Amino acid sequence: MLSALGNPRQAAAQILNFGLILSTAFMMWKGLSVIADSPSPIVVVLSGSMEPAFQRGDLLFLWNRNFFEETKVGEIVVYNVKGKDIPIVHRLVRKFGLGPKAKLLTKGDNNPTDDTELYARGQDFIEREDIIGSVVAYIPFVGYVTILLSEHPWLKTVMLGIMGLVVVLQRE
Amino acid sequence: MHSTLVRTQNVFGFFTTVAFVVAALIAASDIVASRTPKASVVVKDVSVVMGRANYYAKKKEEFANIRFSMSADLSSLFTWNTKQVFVYVSASWPNSTSSEPSNEAVIWDTIITNPSADHLQNIGPAAMKKLKRSAKGKPIDPSRGKIELKNQKPKYQVSVPSGKIAHTNDVVLEVHYNVQPWVGVLTWTPQIEFLGWKKMKGGVSKVFSLPAVKVKKDSTKKN
Repeated sequence: MLSALGNPRQAAAQILNFGLILSTAFMMWKGLSVIADSPSPIVVVLSGSMEPAFQRGDLLFLWNRNFFEETKVGEIVVYNVKGKDIPIVHRLVRKFGLGPKAKLLTKGDNNPTDDTELYARGQDFIEREDIIGSVVAYIPFVGYVTILLSEHPWLKTVMLGIMGLVVVLQRE
Repeated sequence: MHSTLVRTQNVFGFFTTVAFVVAALIAASDIVASRTPKASVVVKDVSVVMGRANYYAKKKEEFANIRFSMSADLSSLFTWNTKQVFVYVSASWPNSTSSEPSNEAVIWDTIITNPSADHLQNIGPAAMKKLKRSAKGKPIDPSRGKIELKNQKPKYQVSVPSGKIAHTNDVVLEVHYNVQPWVGVLTWTPQIEFLGWKKMKGGVSKVFSLPAVKVKKDSTKKN
């Protein structure tokens, strides 16, 4: 089983192979990002504030272009609050004005009140530029593994270790 | 070649492929079920009162309180791939500078789950029991798509950034929906018809105006 380690040529090929897999995944992610015009075209739901529509761990596909019409009330958007780096998935419930400077208000379906409390100090509304995409498609549960990984960081080390070992040890 | 590792990998790979193909088929099957929603909405009583957005709000602003009656038949939206339907009524009105509606605010909404998603609702145990019993043995219950509201109080009172909403003209109420699937594409009230998916029949109220602020001593309550 460990013969690959004895053969430097084969070991090198396998490390290259591993790198290829990683870079392909990275390229697909960035490609999707360009198509959807969103820094993060796929997000995992982290909170229960949109239940029963979205549960923790569900996978959402985002679209951040306005080909035919502006982002409007009723859409579910992912936005970043100024000064905080946590994306929030909530529904648009109010919109005042048109264009990029329109004042937008969001609310989670499962929350009793709107998001004014979540916004930064002195911020009563968000703007179009705060939004990183509108939810267009949905796959349940698949993203739960990322929640596990971020809540139990040691799993990351274990998984990377196993992946590395498999690549190094497998023949062919 | 046929080590345990390779076999496990193959089984897992096959499982994911099958799962994704089945999910894709389910998502694509949405298009087969035709959608013929209809609704009518009538404005009942409109008032504008002074109030505070919350307990700590320093300034008082004007809140529009729009009561309405609604009759909707969204039963065709409930299919095997429907998790929930989010129904909302919004008020929209133009700015003084433009004629197209440039302001929109949701005044009422509701979540209607398909019986298969009832257990995900965030409601009390008694209400949950009642909800589950209402569709016992039925995985799909289109009758839940029928909504009758008589002189309904709005869930959200509308205020605007300027704080002044009295005397706003050309306001209309409109009924919208958002279908949340178990897997696949989320859909909203369509603007164009596409195969069996029809536009909402009706669902727009007559144009109305907001009155002057109601003069009343005790008017500080909001929600």
